[in-house]
Amino acid sequence: MTGANSQTLPTALASLQERLVGESASRRALLLMAPLIAFELLVFVIPFATLLRISVAAPSSEAVYAEGTWSLEAYSEVFGDLLAGDLLLGIVGYSFLIGTVVTVLTVVIALFYAYAIRRSSGLVKSLLLFSVVLPLLTTLVIRTYAFTPLLSPTGTINELLLSAGLLSEPIQFVPNTVGAVVGQVYIVLPYAVLAIYSVLATMDWDVVEAARDLGASRPRAVVEVVLPQAMPGIIVASVISFAWSVGAYAAPGLLSDDLTFAIYVEQLILGDLRYPTAAALSVVTMGLMLAGIGIIFAVLDRFGGEFDLA
Amino acid sequence: MSSTLHRERLEDVAFRAGYAAVLAFLLLPLVVVVVTSFSKAGRIAFPPESYSLVWYGEFLQSARWIGAFVNSLVVGVGTALLATLLGVLGAFGQELEADAGGDGIVGAVLVPIVLLPLLVPPVILGITLLLYFNEVGLRGSYTSIVLAHTLWATPLVYFVMRSVFSRFDWQQLDAAHDLGAGPVRSFVHVVLPNVKHGIFVGGLLAFIISLQEFVMALFLSTPSTETIPVLAWTEIRQALDPMVSVVSTFLIVISVAAIALAALVTNLEWVSRQLS
Repeated sequence: MTGANSQTLPTALASLQERLVGESASRRALLLMAPLIAFELLVFVIPFATLLRISVAAPSSEAVYAEGTWSLEAYSEVFGDLLAGDLLLGIVGYSFLIGTVVTVLTVVIALFYAYAIRRSSGLVKSLLLFSVVLPLLTTLVIRTYAFTPLLSPTGTINELLLSAGLLSEPIQFVPNTVGAVVGQVYIVLPYAVLAIYSVLATMDWDVVEAARDLGASRPRAVVEVVLPQAMPGIIVASVISFAWSVGAYAAPGLLSDDLTFAIYVEQLILGDLRYPTAAALSVVTMGLMLAGIGIIFAVLDRFGGEFDLA
Repeated sequence: MSSTLHRERLEDVAFRAGYAAVLAFLLLPLVVVVVTSFSKAGRIAFPPESYSLVWYGEFLQSARWIGAFVNSLVVGVGTALLATLLGVLGAFGQELEADAGGDGIVGAVLVPIVLLPLLVPPVILGITLLLYFNEVGLRGSYTSIVLAHTLWATPLVYFVMRSVFSRFDWQQLDAAHDLGAGPVRSFVHVVLPNVKHGIFVGGLLAFIISLQEFVMALFLSTPSTETIPVLAWTEIRQALDPMVSVVSTFLIVISVAAIALAALVTNLEWVSRQLS
């Protein structure tokens, strides 16, 4: 049995090798990339083409959408609702508001924390890094929900503030926008810290020392020396915070009563079965989101730092 | 001069207080989860009024939770294997393409396509894949969730591997070729030993991504394939008992064990640097 295996395996490898040797280097490279290309095509590109197709199909009262039809009804409905300042505008606007607020908060905190990790050493450094990685390993739903007993009107924080005499009556953090923002910051913060820290970790720290020796105060050294060098990490952190927060589902779902775009789309699909509308709304929101990411790139790029995808 | 020193002392105190606050923010929800898992009452409150192990007993007797646990492991391992295979081969291929002085068009198109799924809101991905898998008859299978999670995990493995490969000395590979080793043999004997830590970290990341992901899983799973986060989501919206805390505590323990393992194989700082 083992003899047969050890014979067929080398034979198979040899024939594979023969074919690979026969190819030129770039053909070989293509062959290696082929599975990834096929995967992205089958599981990403084609499904999205399907989504686009459904967004231009006519709605139907019998099926989830009328197959084989072409219509811009869903788009005119989405844009009509948006321009009329209806419920939809509120939902989409709210999603982008949350996305923006969360991104700003997250990047500021992440930059500070990544800097603290870079500056610390030994046990403190390990502890700080561990505190970033550990939340990533806990189920998102559960760690987000864990804010409820802390932030609710009868929760820990309100009770502390009340007993300290800082409040006369409890504040309703959850269910509320505050809760959604806190939960969403908590979800994206670890990724943002790691993105920025990975840049700071490889940064030449002598330059900061030099700035200090030349008389720059510490805050000034950070703003003028550390910040520009950290820019690639800051861009990555901003883009992922923004993209994930605009499409936020778990944090608003668990910690607030407000409708976000993601929750609304889910209702359209699973509740109302209005597939073309949901597809068109998804396409429009994606477009707006990519425009937002473009703005982030443009703004942050002006502060320096060359950004390279790879 | 002394005023400068005084100011720097103040800065130091503020700096420390600042990162201690962030540290507390990051760890507090986890403390809540672990502590409430030992509560006796049927409702989550922090801190609990009385402690017991009653919910751990409940967990071990709950076929549904154990099932979700198994489902999460199956999907996580499947995702880790598939994403690692795709990511390692793809990154290696692109490195070869650049090395061979090719025009790199395939690579240039591939990078944004691999990256893009990370930026698409999971709800849209979930809906898109739900519609698509319905058409191709994959609905309700483990495969559908593994494929969806691989879409998210592959970019991470891919970029970890790109950064690992970019640090590899490619002249070693040329040397192996010159000495007569074929492509497969030279990969196994020359490249693999140098990049195996990267592959391990990539696979671990993919597994963690899968363990975490719940929006796509929510759309794609059925009661028989539901993963831990999906069941937790359903449970949290119905009952507020500490069962979810118990499950999460188990996950924290497993994850810490996994980190300890990863730290043994490599070291923590190196891991975080690879995340870029």
